[in-house]
Amino acid sequence: MSGKLFLSLTAAVLTASLIAAHAATPATPAEMLKARHDHYKELGDAFKTVRDGSKAASPDFAALEKAAEVVNQASVNQQQWFPKGTGPEAGKTRALPEIWSKPDEFTAAQKMFSDRAPKLLAAAKAKDVAAVSAAFKDLGGACKNCHDTFRGPED
Amino acid sequence: MVLFVAASWWTAETKRMDWHQYSGYALLAVVTFRLYWGFFGSSTARFSRFVQGPRTVLAYLKGQWTALPGHNPLGALSVVALLGLLFAQIVLGLFTVDVDGIESGPLSTYVSFDAGRVAADWHDGLFDVLIWLVVLHVAAVLFYLLYKKENLVAAMLHGKRDYAGDPAAAMKSASWRSLAAGLVLAGLLTWMVTRAFQF
Repeated sequence: MSGKLFLSLTAAVLTASLIAAHAATPATPAEMLKARHDHYKELGDAFKTVRDGSKAASPDFAALEKAAEVVNQASVNQQQWFPKGTGPEAGKTRALPEIWSKPDEFTAAQKMFSDRAPKLLAAAKAKDVAAVSAAFKDLGGACKNCHDTFRGPED
Repeated sequence: MVLFVAASWWTAETKRMDWHQYSGYALLAVVTFRLYWGFFGSSTARFSRFVQGPRTVLAYLKGQWTALPGHNPLGALSVVALLGLLFAQIVLGLFTVDVDGIESGPLSTYVSFDAGRVAADWHDGLFDVLIWLVVLHVAAVLFYLLYKKENLVAAMLHGKRDYAGDPAAAMKSASWRSLAAGLVLAGLLTWMVTRAFQF
Protein backbone atom coordinates (compact mmCIF):
# COMPACT_ATOMS: atom_id res chain seq x y z
CA MET A 1 0.00 0.00 0.00
CA SER A 2 1.42 3.35 -0.91
CA GLY A 3 1.94 5.92 1.81
CA LYS A 4 -0.48 8.32 0.16
CA LEU A 5 -3.30 5.79 -0.07
CA PHE A 6 -2.72 4.81 3.54
CA LEU A 7 -2.95 8.44 4.60
CA SER A 8 -6.20 9.09 2.77
CA LEU A 9 -7.69 5.86 4.11
CA THR A 10 -6.75 6.91 7.64
CA ALA A 11 -8.30 10.31 7.04
CA ALA A 12 -11.49 8.68 5.76
CA VAL A 13 -11.71 6.40 8.81
CA LEU A 14 -11.09 9.34 11.15
CA THR A 15 -13.76 11.44 9.44
CA ALA A 16 -16.25 8.59 9.60
CA SER A 17 -15.61 8.04 13.29
CA LEU A 18 -15.94 11.77 13.98
CA ILE A 19 -19.32 11.77 12.25
CA ALA A 20 -20.31 8.66 14.22
CA ALA A 21 -19.19 10.30 17.47
CA HIS A 22 -21.18 13.39 16.62
CA ALA A 23 -24.26 11.34 15.81
CA ALA A 24 -23.86 9.60 19.17
CA THR A 25 -24.34 12.89 21.05
CA PRO A 26 -27.08 12.32 23.65
CA ALA A 27 -30.49 13.04 22.23
CA THR A 28 -33.22 11.79 24.54
CA PRO A 29 -33.89 13.69 27.79
CA ALA A 30 -32.83 10.65 29.84
CA GLU A 31 -29.53 10.49 27.96
CA MET A 32 -28.96 14.20 28.40
CA LEU A 33 -29.69 13.85 32.09
CA LYS A 34 -27.15 11.05 32.38
CA ALA A 35 -24.58 13.05 30.42
CA ARG A 36 -25.11 15.95 32.82
CA HIS A 37 -24.56 13.71 35.84
CA ASP A 38 -21.36 12.38 34.25
CA HIS A 39 -20.19 15.94 33.61
CA TYR A 40 -20.78 16.91 37.22
CA LYS A 41 -18.99 13.79 38.41
CA GLU A 42 -16.01 14.82 36.31
CA LEU A 43 -16.29 18.28 37.83
CA GLY A 44 -16.35 16.84 41.35
CA ASP A 45 -13.26 14.81 40.50
CA ALA A 46 -11.52 17.97 39.24
CA PHE A 47 -12.57 19.90 42.34
CA LYS A 48 -11.10 17.22 44.54
CA THR A 49 -7.78 17.49 42.67
CA VAL A 50 -7.80 21.25 43.19
CA ARG A 51 -8.68 20.87 46.85
CA ASP A 52 -5.95 18.25 47.39
CA GLY A 53 -3.46 20.50 45.60
CA SER A 54 -4.36 23.52 47.69
CA LYS A 55 -3.71 21.54 50.89
CA ALA A 56 -0.62 19.57 49.89
CA ALA A 57 2.82 20.42 51.22
CA SER A 58 4.19 20.16 47.67
CA PRO A 59 1.30 20.25 45.16
CA ASP A 60 1.36 18.58 41.77
CA PHE A 61 0.99 21.73 39.69
CA ALA A 62 0.55 19.87 36.39
CA ALA A 63 -2.46 17.97 37.79
CA LEU A 64 -3.72 21.13 39.43
CA GLU A 65 -3.61 23.10 36.19
CA LYS A 66 -5.30 20.28 34.28
CA ALA A 67 -8.09 20.12 36.85
CA ALA A 68 -8.51 23.91 36.84
CA GLU A 69 -8.81 23.67 33.06
CA VAL A 70 -11.61 21.07 33.40
CA VAL A 71 -13.38 23.34 35.90
CA ASN A 72 -13.02 26.34 33.63
CA GLN A 73 -14.37 24.43 30.62
CA ALA A 74 -17.27 23.10 32.66
CA SER A 75 -18.14 26.58 33.90
CA VAL A 76 -18.86 27.56 30.29
CA ASN A 77 -20.30 24.25 29.11
CA GLN A 78 -22.75 23.85 32.01
CA GLN A 79 -24.88 26.50 30.39
CA GLN A 80 -25.78 23.83 27.83
CA TRP A 81 -26.41 21.05 30.35
CA PHE A 82 -29.96 21.93 31.32
CA PRO A 83 -32.14 21.74 28.21
CA LYS A 84 -35.88 21.85 28.82
CA GLY A 85 -37.36 18.46 29.68
CA THR A 86 -34.30 17.11 31.54
CA GLY A 87 -35.66 17.79 35.03
CA PRO A 88 -37.33 15.30 37.39
CA GLU A 89 -39.68 14.30 34.55
CA ALA A 90 -36.72 12.72 32.70
CA GLY A 91 -35.43 10.55 35.56
CA LYS A 92 -33.86 10.58 39.02
CA THR A 93 -32.15 13.92 39.43
CA ARG A 94 -31.48 16.57 42.04
CA ALA A 95 -32.15 19.27 39.42
CA LEU A 96 -35.15 21.23 40.71
CA PRO A 97 -38.00 22.53 38.52
CA GLU A 98 -36.97 26.09 39.52
CA ILE A 99 -34.16 25.80 36.97
CA TRP A 100 -36.76 26.10 34.23
CA SER A 101 -39.32 28.22 36.06
CA LYS A 102 -36.79 30.92 37.04
CA PRO A 103 -34.50 31.00 33.99
CA ASP A 104 -33.10 34.50 34.65
CA GLU A 105 -32.01 33.68 38.18
CA PHE A 106 -30.59 30.35 37.04
CA THR A 107 -28.58 31.99 34.26
CA ALA A 108 -27.25 34.56 36.75
CA ALA A 109 -26.21 31.75 39.11
CA GLN A 110 -24.46 29.91 36.26
CA LYS A 111 -22.72 33.11 35.25
CA MET A 112 -21.29 33.51 38.74
CA PHE A 113 -19.51 30.18 38.17
CA SER A 114 -18.15 31.10 34.74
CA ASP A 115 -17.05 34.53 36.02
CA ARG A 116 -15.04 33.06 38.87
CA ALA A 117 -13.56 29.93 37.27
CA PRO A 118 -10.91 31.75 35.17
CA LYS A 119 -9.35 33.12 38.37
CA LEU A 120 -8.73 29.56 39.54
CA LEU A 121 -7.11 28.65 36.25
CA ALA A 122 -4.91 31.75 36.37
CA ALA A 123 -3.83 30.96 39.92
CA ALA A 124 -3.04 27.35 38.98
CA LYS A 125 -1.00 28.48 35.97
CA ALA A 126 0.89 30.93 38.16
CA LYS A 127 1.61 28.03 40.61
CA ASP A 128 0.38 30.30 43.41
CA VAL A 129 -1.04 28.03 46.13
CA ALA A 130 -2.46 30.87 48.23
CA ALA A 131 -4.27 32.26 45.18
CA VAL A 132 -5.55 28.76 44.28
CA SER A 133 -6.97 28.37 47.80
CA ALA A 134 -8.63 31.77 47.64
CA ALA A 135 -10.06 31.16 44.16
CA PHE A 136 -11.25 27.70 45.21
CA LYS A 137 -13.08 29.13 48.21
CA ASP A 138 -14.57 31.87 46.04
CA LEU A 139 -15.68 29.30 43.50
CA GLY A 140 -17.19 27.12 46.23
CA GLY A 141 -19.39 30.10 47.07
CA ALA A 142 -20.67 30.15 43.48
CA CYS A 143 -21.46 26.41 43.66
CA LYS A 144 -23.34 26.86 46.92
CA ASN A 145 -25.17 29.94 45.63
CA CYS A 146 -26.70 27.94 42.78
CA HIS A 147 -27.17 24.66 44.68
CA ASP A 148 -29.07 26.36 47.52
CA THR A 149 -31.86 27.29 45.14
CA PHE A 150 -31.66 24.92 42.21
CA ARG A 151 -30.43 21.58 43.59
CA GLY A 152 -32.54 19.29 45.74
CA PRO A 153 -31.31 17.33 48.79
CA GLU A 154 -29.31 14.11 48.49
CA ASP A 155 -31.65 11.08 48.32
CA MET B 1 -18.15 9.65 73.46
CA VAL B 2 -21.92 9.89 73.48
CA LEU B 3 -21.70 13.69 73.40
CA PHE B 4 -19.39 13.71 70.39
CA VAL B 5 -21.46 11.06 68.60
CA ALA B 6 -24.51 13.28 69.10
CA ALA B 7 -22.54 16.32 67.95
CA SER B 8 -21.34 14.42 64.86
CA TRP B 9 -24.87 13.44 63.97
CA TRP B 10 -26.22 16.94 64.48
CA THR B 11 -23.46 18.70 62.52
CA ALA B 12 -23.89 16.24 59.63
CA GLU B 13 -27.67 16.71 59.56
CA THR B 14 -27.30 20.49 59.50
CA LYS B 15 -24.32 20.39 57.09
CA ARG B 16 -21.91 22.20 59.41
CA MET B 17 -19.00 20.27 57.98
CA ASP B 18 -16.22 22.21 59.70
CA TRP B 19 -17.72 21.37 63.11
CA HIS B 20 -18.40 17.82 61.93
CA GLN B 21 -14.67 17.47 61.29
CA TYR B 22 -13.74 18.82 64.75
CA SER B 23 -16.21 16.45 66.35
CA GLY B 24 -14.73 13.56 64.34
CA TYR B 25 -11.21 14.47 65.45
CA ALA B 26 -12.35 14.57 69.07
CA LEU B 27 -13.88 11.10 68.66
CA LEU B 28 -10.71 9.83 67.00
CA ALA B 29 -8.70 10.98 70.02
CA VAL B 30 -11.15 9.50 72.53
CA VAL B 31 -11.50 6.15 70.72
CA THR B 32 -7.73 5.88 70.19
CA PHE B 33 -7.23 6.46 73.89
CA ARG B 34 -9.86 3.84 74.76
CA LEU B 35 -8.22 1.27 72.48
CA TYR B 36 -4.86 2.03 74.10
CA TRP B 37 -6.45 1.78 77.54
CA GLY B 38 -7.80 -1.65 76.55
CA PHE B 39 -4.20 -2.88 76.51
CA PHE B 40 -2.32 -0.68 78.97
CA GLY B 41 -5.06 0.73 81.19
CA SER B 42 -6.56 -0.21 84.53
CA SER B 43 -7.34 -3.91 84.95
CA THR B 44 -11.12 -3.60 84.43
CA ALA B 45 -10.61 -1.64 81.20
CA ARG B 46 -8.42 -4.26 79.51
CA PHE B 47 -9.88 -6.30 76.67
CA SER B 48 -8.03 -9.40 77.92
CA ARG B 49 -10.00 -9.07 81.16
CA PHE B 50 -13.54 -8.70 79.95
CA VAL B 51 -13.79 -10.08 76.41
CA GLN B 52 -15.11 -13.64 76.72
CA GLY B 53 -15.94 -16.48 74.38
CA PRO B 54 -19.51 -17.44 73.41
CA ARG B 55 -19.67 -20.15 76.10
CA THR B 56 -19.15 -17.64 78.90
CA VAL B 57 -21.69 -15.29 77.34
CA LEU B 58 -24.23 -18.14 77.27
CA ALA B 59 -23.43 -19.03 80.87
CA TYR B 60 -23.95 -15.40 81.83
CA LEU B 61 -27.32 -15.36 80.07
CA LYS B 62 -28.35 -18.49 82.01
CA GLY B 63 -27.33 -16.76 85.23
CA GLN B 64 -24.37 -19.08 85.82
CA TRP B 65 -21.69 -16.41 85.87
CA THR B 66 -19.91 -15.39 89.07
CA ALA B 67 -19.75 -11.62 89.09
CA LEU B 68 -16.36 -10.03 88.66
CA PRO B 69 -15.62 -6.33 88.66
CA GLY B 70 -15.76 -4.82 85.17
CA HIS B 71 -17.93 -5.44 82.16
CA ASN B 72 -20.12 -8.53 82.22
CA PRO B 73 -19.64 -10.95 79.26
CA LEU B 74 -22.68 -9.64 77.36
CA GLY B 75 -21.79 -6.00 77.98
CA ALA B 76 -18.31 -6.81 76.70
CA LEU B 77 -19.78 -7.70 73.31
CA SER B 78 -21.46 -4.31 73.25
CA VAL B 79 -18.19 -2.58 74.12
CA VAL B 80 -16.27 -4.39 71.39
CA ALA B 81 -18.96 -3.83 68.76
CA LEU B 82 -19.36 -0.15 69.61
CA LEU B 83 -15.64 0.59 69.70
CA GLY B 84 -15.01 -1.36 66.50
CA LEU B 85 -17.84 0.24 64.55
CA LEU B 86 -17.09 3.69 65.88
CA PHE B 87 -13.45 3.33 64.91
CA ALA B 88 -14.44 2.09 61.42
CA GLN B 89 -16.88 4.97 61.11
CA ILE B 90 -14.18 7.52 62.00
CA VAL B 91 -11.68 6.01 59.56
CA LEU B 92 -14.27 6.02 56.76
CA GLY B 93 -15.01 9.65 57.56
CA LEU B 94 -11.34 10.55 57.21
CA PHE B 95 -11.42 9.31 53.59
CA THR B 96 -14.87 10.61 52.70
CA VAL B 97 -15.38 12.98 49.77
CA ASP B 98 -18.61 14.89 49.23
CA VAL B 99 -20.53 14.79 45.96
CA ASP B 100 -18.94 18.07 44.78
CA GLY B 101 -15.36 17.19 45.72
CA ILE B 102 -15.26 20.26 47.96
CA GLU B 103 -15.77 19.12 51.56
CA SER B 104 -13.59 16.13 52.32
CA GLY B 105 -11.97 14.21 55.14
CA PRO B 106 -8.29 14.99 55.74
CA LEU B 107 -7.00 11.67 54.38
CA SER B 108 -9.12 11.76 51.18
CA THR B 109 -6.12 13.26 49.42
CA TYR B 110 -4.69 9.72 49.36
CA VAL B 111 -7.67 8.20 47.50
CA SER B 112 -9.48 8.89 44.23
CA PHE B 113 -12.75 10.80 43.94
CA ASP B 114 -14.63 7.55 43.32
CA ALA B 115 -13.05 5.78 46.29
CA GLY B 116 -13.87 8.81 48.44
CA ARG B 117 -17.48 8.60 47.31
CA VAL B 118 -17.60 4.90 48.24
CA ALA B 119 -16.22 5.83 51.67
CA ALA B 120 -18.97 8.44 51.92
CA ASP B 121 -21.67 5.87 51.14
CA TRP B 122 -20.29 3.52 53.77
CA HIS B 123 -19.91 6.37 56.25
CA ASP B 124 -23.57 7.14 55.66
CA GLY B 125 -24.76 3.52 55.85
CA LEU B 126 -22.67 2.47 58.83
CA PHE B 127 -24.17 5.27 60.90
CA ASP B 128 -27.59 3.60 60.67
CA VAL B 129 -26.09 0.44 62.20
CA LEU B 130 -24.07 2.32 64.79
CA ILE B 131 -27.02 4.36 66.03
CA TRP B 132 -29.02 1.21 66.90
CA LEU B 133 -26.12 -0.14 68.93
CA VAL B 134 -25.85 3.21 70.69
CA VAL B 135 -29.58 3.14 71.48
CA LEU B 136 -29.27 -0.41 72.83
CA HIS B 137 -26.22 0.51 74.88
CA VAL B 138 -27.83 3.60 76.40
CA ALA B 139 -31.03 1.63 77.07
CA ALA B 140 -29.02 -1.01 78.97
CA VAL B 141 -27.28 1.67 81.04
CA LEU B 142 -30.65 3.27 81.85
CA PHE B 143 -32.03 -0.17 82.78
CA TYR B 144 -29.20 -0.58 85.28
CA LEU B 145 -29.70 2.91 86.65
CA LEU B 146 -33.50 2.80 87.03
CA TYR B 147 -34.25 -0.86 87.62
CA LYS B 148 -31.09 -2.28 89.17
CA LYS B 149 -30.21 1.02 90.88
CA GLU B 150 -26.63 0.90 89.71
CA ASN B 151 -24.95 3.91 88.12
CA LEU B 152 -22.79 2.55 85.32
CA VAL B 153 -21.98 5.98 83.90
CA ALA B 154 -19.89 6.79 86.96
CA ALA B 155 -18.31 3.33 86.71
CA MET B 156 -17.39 4.02 83.08
CA LEU B 157 -15.48 7.11 84.15
CA HIS B 158 -13.52 5.87 87.18
CA GLY B 159 -13.73 2.13 86.41
CA LYS B 160 -15.02 1.10 89.85
CA ARG B 161 -18.14 -0.78 90.86
CA ASP B 162 -19.39 -1.93 94.25
CA TYR B 163 -17.94 -5.36 94.66
CA ALA B 164 -17.97 -7.65 97.65
CA GLY B 165 -16.15 -10.68 96.25
CA ASP B 166 -12.54 -11.78 96.13
CA PRO B 167 -10.31 -8.72 96.69
CA ALA B 168 -7.63 -10.24 94.45
CA ALA B 169 -10.00 -9.68 91.49
CA ALA B 170 -10.72 -6.02 92.32
CA MET B 171 -9.67 -3.27 89.99
CA LYS B 172 -6.03 -2.34 89.78
CA SER B 173 -5.43 1.19 88.59
CA ALA B 174 -2.95 1.88 85.84
CA SER B 175 0.03 4.10 86.52
CA TRP B 176 -0.10 7.84 85.89
CA ARG B 177 2.72 7.32 83.44
CA SER B 178 0.58 4.91 81.43
CA LEU B 179 -2.28 7.44 81.43
CA ALA B 180 0.02 10.25 80.25
CA ALA B 181 1.47 8.05 77.49
CA GLY B 182 -2.05 7.21 76.26
CA LEU B 183 -3.11 10.84 76.20
CA VAL B 184 0.03 11.87 74.32
CA LEU B 185 -0.42 9.00 71.84
CA ALA B 186 -4.09 9.84 71.17
CA GLY B 187 -3.36 13.56 70.83
CA LEU B 188 -0.34 13.06 68.59
CA LEU B 189 -2.10 10.62 66.25
CA THR B 190 -5.12 12.91 65.92
CA TRP B 191 -2.92 15.91 65.22
CA MET B 192 -1.02 14.01 62.52
CA VAL B 193 -4.29 12.88 60.93
CA THR B 194 -5.59 16.46 60.76
CA ARG B 195 -2.40 17.35 58.93
CA ALA B 196 -2.86 14.28 56.64
CA PHE B 197 0.65 13.20 57.77
CA GLN B 198 2.18 16.06 55.78
CA PHE B 199 4.56 18.28 57.69
